[in-house]
Amino acid sequence: MASPTHLRILPLAEFKPAAASRAWVSIPNPNGLPLIATATSDKTVRVYSLRNFALHSTLEGGHLRSVRSVAWKPTVKNTGTLCLATGSFDATMGIWRRREERFADNDDSDNDDDWEFAIVLEGHDSEVKNVAYSPSGQWLASCSRDKSIWIWEEIGDEGDDEFETIAVLQEHTADVKCVSWRKDDGNGEVLASGSYDDTIRFFKGDDEGEWSCIALLEGHEGTVWSLDWEPESTSTEKDYSPGIPRLISSSADCTIRVWTKTWECTATLPKAHDLPIYSTSWSKKSGRVVSTGGDGKIVIYEETTKGRTKVGGEIEREWVIVGILAGGHGPYEINHVTWCTRFDSAKAEDGEEMIVTTGDDGVVRAWAIEALKPEPTVPFTEGGPAS
Amino acid sequence: MGLDNENPLILSASELPTRKQRRKNKEASSKQHIVKDLLNAKLCSADPFDLSDLSNSDSDDSVEPIDEMEIYDLIAPISDPEHPLSLESLGVVKLQDVHLLSPNDLTNPAALSRVLVELTPTVSHCSLATVIGLGVRVRLEQALPPSYRVEVKIKKNTHSQAEEVNKQLADKERVAAALENENLMSILRTMMKPCLE
Repeated sequence: MASPTHLRILPLAEFKPAAASRAWVSIPNPNGLPLIATATSDKTVRVYSLRNFALHSTLEGGHLRSVRSVAWKPTVKNTGTLCLATGSFDATMGIWRRREERFADNDDSDNDDDWEFAIVLEGHDSEVKNVAYSPSGQWLASCSRDKSIWIWEEIGDEGDDEFETIAVLQEHTADVKCVSWRKDDGNGEVLASGSYDDTIRFFKGDDEGEWSCIALLEGHEGTVWSLDWEPESTSTEKDYSPGIPRLISSSADCTIRVWTKTWECTATLPKAHDLPIYSTSWSKKSGRVVSTGGDGKIVIYEETTKGRTKVGGEIEREWVIVGILAGGHGPYEINHVTWCTRFDSAKAEDGEEMIVTTGDDGVVRAWAIEALKPEPTVPFTEGGPAS
Repeated sequence: MGLDNENPLILSASELPTRKQRRKNKEASSKQHIVKDLLNAKLCSADPFDLSDLSNSDSDDSVEPIDEMEIYDLIAPISDPEHPLSLESLGVVKLQDVHLLSPNDLTNPAALSRVLVELTPTVSHCSLATVIGLGVRVRLEQALPPSYRVEVKIKKNTHSQAEEVNKQLADKERVAAALENENLMSILRTMMKPCLE
């Protein structure tokens, strides 16, 4: 049995300049570009550079109220255009584009165009809470206080700015707070949603393009604030192969639940928060989970092997807390947390990960992870610690 | 539309907690009074919903911690959206229903204080319970330092839809969106006016 890891969460940098009011969420670019987009209550989105933690560009003038969420469009090949979708409390969504001829090594952005507010997507009756592109980039999902989820598809050529509504899903009985896509496993992409009605639902399109609810996950005793799918690479680890990726959910009931295969809750992460858990993120690199919320704590969990309880039995695993930091944004609530690849010059190796948090103070912070060496059990040196 | 409660019971001033007496005592003790500072600062502010950061007030380091009475004083004068009367005189806000849980270590800026305010609606079907609760939550969030986590609930057995109202008032995102709604904000501004007088 491996000894438990202990991690230290160390302040790495603050993205500058910060917003003057609440920042909601920060999403790293999924296509390997050193950029992260932050949605704020000042009606803008700030795109920061991950190389130097400085402002890269700003999306402004498109929304009348808080920008609550932002999503990068995944691209298969580099077309030289960045594309972001935004969802706002003004009930609309925006599609934004920016020409970026080359992604320059220097950090200035002078030769590139500004963000263009390409098209506004209307349809929701009230605040749009979350927007998410499917991993293939084919679909865009949005959810709202109006209890509905909309699936949009971009038709025509890239840049034609024509969108079609593929489905309007109205199974939830209250605000839909979050949506998260599962990668296509050969049977199509699946959308998971979390709601103020305390439930999680899955939706999928059939061969005829009809979308319907395929699962209802009940168990939380409060609003489901965030969802994240198990990244592919963590399941190749050791002799554990779940086949179907698992889902984690965080809630106002102060729990984080792990849902498996037939969509039963198979684990609850150790309790560390005493206020709503607004965000949780599953690392592709380490398989660790990080969470944050109203109590301002940042908590890292790791799944460990307990061993077999009987010969030939299934290997038992359990989640343990391996790192915890209180007051990540001082006295302020933290609205979002995500794992993010490091691009700054101080990184130790390619692909090294950090944590990025987004707070009510308008600040976006980067945190480095440092493993603490286990205490030596037998002191060799003279004058070592007395036992 | 008729009023939900046309003849609410109104408490006389002598039945209410004697705030003024308390103030006098405080001033005599020559200590800075946090809430008074705040109210004075608010008078200069054009927008009553400006974010204020009490922890940055100029008072010296020996400021005494905020107590239930001061929290009560912040919300007691809020006026009812239906009657031109204060929440304290209608018995909606009661001193004994203001609860405060302070951390042991006050020097740690990340240590959180928890405030729970239980409201007693004038009638059990009061349709404005959510608006009143929102007013109380917003008033406290904007007047108290950022390390205070405010919870506003309807007192048990006093409202037919208490659970729904409580869940709404606890939802940060709904509260944030409500504050960007101009119609609702103008109602809240009217309710808050007496707090600034």
